[in-house]
Amino acid sequence: MSKVVACYKWVADEADLRIDADLSVDFSRVKGKISDYDKNAIAEAVNIATAWGEKAVGLTFGTAKAKQSVKDALSRGLEEGYWINADEAADADGAAVAKALAAVIQRIDDVGLVVCAEGASDTFARQVPSRIGAVLDWPVVTSVMKIEIAGNGLMTVRRLDDCMQTVKVQLPAVIAVLPEINTPPIPGLKAVMAAAKKPVHEFKGGDLGINFTPKTKAVEFKGYVMARKNVIFKEGEAADKVRELAAALRKEGVL
Amino acid sequence: MAGIYIYSDNNEIAAEIIGFAKRVGKEAVLLAFDEKTAEVMGNSGADKIYLLNGESELVESYAKAVAELLQKEEAELFAVGSTARGRELAARAAGYLDCALVSDVSALSYADGWFLAERMMYGGLVQQRESLDGLGVVTVPGGKFDPVTGNAEVISMAVQADRRVSLVETAPIVRQGADLSQADKVVCVGMGLDKEEDLETARALAEAIGAEIACTRGIAEERHWLPAELYIGISGAVIKPKLYVSLGVSGQIQHIFGIRDSQLIVGIDTNERAPIFKAADYGIVGDLYEIVPLLTDALKKQTIDRPE
Ligand SMILES: Cc1cc2nc3c(=O)[nH]c(=O)nc-3n(C[C@H](O)[C@H](O)[C@H](O)COP(=O)(O)OP(=O)(O)OC[C@H]3O[C@@H](n4cnc5c(N)ncnc54)[C@H](O)[C@@H]3O)c2cc1C
Ligand SMILES: Nc1ncnc2c1ncn2[C@@H]1O[C@H](COP(=O)(O)O)[C@@H](O)[C@H]1O
Repeated sequence: MSKVVACYKWVADEADLRIDADLSVDFSRVKGKISDYDKNAIAEAVNIATAWGEKAVGLTFGTAKAKQSVKDALSRGLEEGYWINADEAADADGAAVAKALAAVIQRIDDVGLVVCAEGASDTFARQVPSRIGAVLDWPVVTSVMKIEIAGNGLMTVRRLDDCMQTVKVQLPAVIAVLPEINTPPIPGLKAVMAAAKKPVHEFKGGDLGINFTPKTKAVEFKGYVMARKNVIFKEGEAADKVRELAAALRKEGVL
Repeated sequence: MAGIYIYSDNNEIAAEIIGFAKRVGKEAVLLAFDEKTAEVMGNSGADKIYLLNGESELVESYAKAVAELLQKEEAELFAVGSTARGRELAARAAGYLDCALVSDVSALSYADGWFLAERMMYGGLVQQRESLDGLGVVTVPGGKFDPVTGNAEVISMAVQADRRVSLVETAPIVRQGADLSQADKVVCVGMGLDKEEDLETARALAEAIGAEIACTRGIAEERHWLPAELYIGISGAVIKPKLYVSLGVSGQIQHIFGIRDSQLIVGIDTNERAPIFKAADYGIVGDLYEIVPLLTDALKKQTIDRPE
């Protein structure tokens, strides 16, 4: 069998974003993280590679900040890390991201499968895996909640809005998995230590021959705030708090 | 033919997008992959229905053929219903066309030769507006536009499918829960609930106030205590009830996105710092096992005169 590539994104943790009074978005206190559901994609890539007796490798496209992701990703069972370092990643759209990832997938020897997550925590655009498939002209299966090895292909179970589908796919292929597919293990100390010794391959965005200009023009980027009353009953006996809430709901006329 | 090309496996969404196309003065061309859809949609106001015939049962596997068709016809926009099938078809077509794709638009308009699309980022914390120049793709959730009527001309054509993916089996998902988008009141349970049996505590409150039960993603997808159509959020249901009450829900942004249009939001959680309290109109900091039975009792008494 051949290698499995897990695509993961290093994203700003949305819990650290602040929305200012003028609705501008303050990124100054933001820490990065591996996009939540990409941990499931990494775990699934490792599972399949293990079943094949092959290697799972990680691939990410990001700015210089994404470097810190590689060790974290490698501690999750991947054997090698591929990192595309590009300033343009900061405002790349789905088209540019998919082309950059596909360009490196083509440079990795003997790839049989690319595993992505359903959607990234920052964009949640749910488009990159399908686009990678198109750029490579490989078959694509999205919304996958189960993967089984079936001869030299894969049998997958998809969850759609109205049905469950069992779908067979030939390799090489791109698969987007739902987070429900597995529970990613938390890396132990030994795995973290071992990660430091694994090979990391860096590519420069400029060397890939891709035009990174976004296909749309951003017109506005602003925070969303909800005006709510924020009346919170926290002190005193439970019975009193309940009485106050019940009275408020009655007054609001929503019962 | 130039114009807006439309596809959805959900006929209601397809009809709504046709309504958008007609209202902005564009030709509307609906893509259908089976005769029944072409027939049912015959009076939905589309100018043309292209009935695409091929060998695969998977609509997504026609992505390359659809991309070629859009290019040949000089389409101005490919607007696809935001469902799992639609998202894949849309993104693969955009990939083959190497063009823009704006996913799950919260708003879409057309002025001065530009399409303007709005979408959320960071789980709903940020709204982004972008303009599309030249052929682009958007995916559109239900309920954004009003449908129109009018007869369509049906034109059949043969298309090639990607045969490397094949359908082996289909099992329908039987909807078990209520239609949350129509619910007047909702009681939502989160991972703060210890055991599946404790759903009864939430059901008792829901019954007392005439509410539907809903949940967070984890309750449905990790614990499987409630069906998937009952979870709320960016990847689940988006609701707009008069009253939403959460029990043991921390209130992460991805969940809150689904309840933003609620008239009144109430949160009950032990953690005073849980983000749900910033999103709530009213809240109680307390143990749901203590608070909910008392609240059920209090509200039962208040709503005796509630019309059935
Ligand atoms: C890309 C992406 C998409 C997502 N989409 C969705 C989505 O559509 N919908 C969704 O719901 N989530 C979604 N999530 C997950 C989301 O980020 C949160 O993880 C999730 O909503 C948390 O669920 P919860 O509040 O039930 O659980 P937790 O965050 O675990 O919260 C449980 C709460 O219960 C409280 N608690 C514990 N015991 C008690 C008690 N006895 N009484 C009262 N309170 C108690 C705790 O203080 C805590 O606040 C998404 C995440 C990502 C990254
Ligand atoms: N910059 C990136 N680097 C690596 N993988 C990515 C990147 N962006 C997106 N992906 C993959 O594509 C998935 C979907 O992303 P999106 O279409 O942006 O929601 C992510 O969960 C990742 O698996």
